[in-house]
Amino acid sequence: MRDTRRSRIVFAVLVLMSITLIIFDLRGGGPTRPLRAVGETVLGTAERAMAGVVVPVRNLLDSLGGMGEASSRIAALEQENARLRAELDTVANDRARADALDALLGLVSTNDYQAVPAQVIAVGPAQGFAWTVTIDVGSRDGVERDMSVISGAGLVGRTIDVGPTTSTVLLIVDATSSVGGRLSGTSQIGIVSGTGRQDSLTMQLLDPLAVVAVGDVVVSFGSEGGRPYAPGIPIGVVAEMRGTEGQLTRSAILAPYVDISNLDIVGVVLRAPESPPRATLETSAVGE
Amino acid sequence: MMVGRRILVSAILLILAVLIEVTVLAPLSLPGATPALVLVVVVILAGQFGAITGAVSGFAGGLLLDIAPPAAGTIGISALLLTVVGYAVGRFAESDDRPWWSLAILAGLAAPLVVLGGAVLGGLLGDPRVRWDDVTILMLTAAGYALVLGLLLTVPLGGLCRRVVPEAYPR
Repeated sequence: MRDTRRSRIVFAVLVLMSITLIIFDLRGGGPTRPLRAVGETVLGTAERAMAGVVVPVRNLLDSLGGMGEASSRIAALEQENARLRAELDTVANDRARADALDALLGLVSTNDYQAVPAQVIAVGPAQGFAWTVTIDVGSRDGVERDMSVISGAGLVGRTIDVGPTTSTVLLIVDATSSVGGRLSGTSQIGIVSGTGRQDSLTMQLLDPLAVVAVGDVVVSFGSEGGRPYAPGIPIGVVAEMRGTEGQLTRSAILAPYVDISNLDIVGVVLRAPESPPRATLETSAVGE
Repeated sequence: MMVGRRILVSAILLILAVLIEVTVLAPLSLPGATPALVLVVVVILAGQFGAITGAVSGFAGGLLLDIAPPAAGTIGISALLLTVVGYAVGRFAESDDRPWWSLAILAGLAAPLVVLGGAVLGGLLGDPRVRWDDVTILMLTAAGYALVLGLLLTVPLGGLCRRVVPEAYPR
């Protein structure tokens, strides 16, 4: 009935076009860069509009689901409040300890970061194996490529594509993500890589003799100029050690602080703190 | 005239499907794969309008998926896979009359094959993200979600196509 020769030609042409696009994208040239820019600008804006409807509905459903939970939570919190009041006199002592620990951890108060808040509006399909999300801030908000993205819990990822009003974030659990990490309180550093699983990261320790214990906290080491990764942002805790001490390569499995499947409000670090919590080596002074 | 309206209805459905897939379905974090709404829409369009529209819709829908933020994979892979799906379903649909749910079954068969195809292509092209130990569960869940979406959407979207482009249907 229908013209099968014509449909075969159309099919062959489209397959060839797809293969051409794949080759261009792998070689990093041709029309794929403008195509991505169009996607980020046009589809990003459309996703933003869509999220204007979707996000309030999602929040409403979440709060409805949480209502019964809320009343029992209030009771539990009141009880806890009473207990905490009783413990108040021991607090002064604890506070001094906490301050010391904070200093030891080298964690920077989040007030020191200049960050712009953002809402997660889209997530990459799981079958693509990539862990990326879209957020609703872009170049108009001062966001640029390779900036740290954080949440209240810790490091989320970095921006990899920026459109006028949206940006794409590569999450730390993505298999292509790697972040310089430091065991807080020590000078042990390593490279924290994503595994493609949302609940684990691997940390390759640079010093095979490093003493690491389960439960140790890993923070970001910080990149030159604070980009792509600002220093001192909590990444996760050591959940498991791989390899024995002294072995050529040692790695740790980390549990990330950030709940990747439940991202909502995040922040993009526009400027890292003026004085990074680490000594910077002055290359000019060394050269003299 | 007829071609214009056919393109218009296909384009609107595909763009909406892409937007819903990344802003609504993917953030649900359902177990396994993300429900492949774009694939289901391509299957329905191919079933309604035949192989040419199927292949073109597959290419366009796949390309949109490849460039819609936060896509980070190689541009062209989804386009290639969905072109094949649209063409194959279109050819099948042109052959003879079948029950309405056959398109949902086809969507349920195509979805795991697209997951597998994506993993194989990614592996061949050296994508470090592909996790083979997750592929089985992704394929199984993708099949289930596509079947459900197909059963839900075949009748309403088919009706919409009929209403907007009545000339495409004899009698």
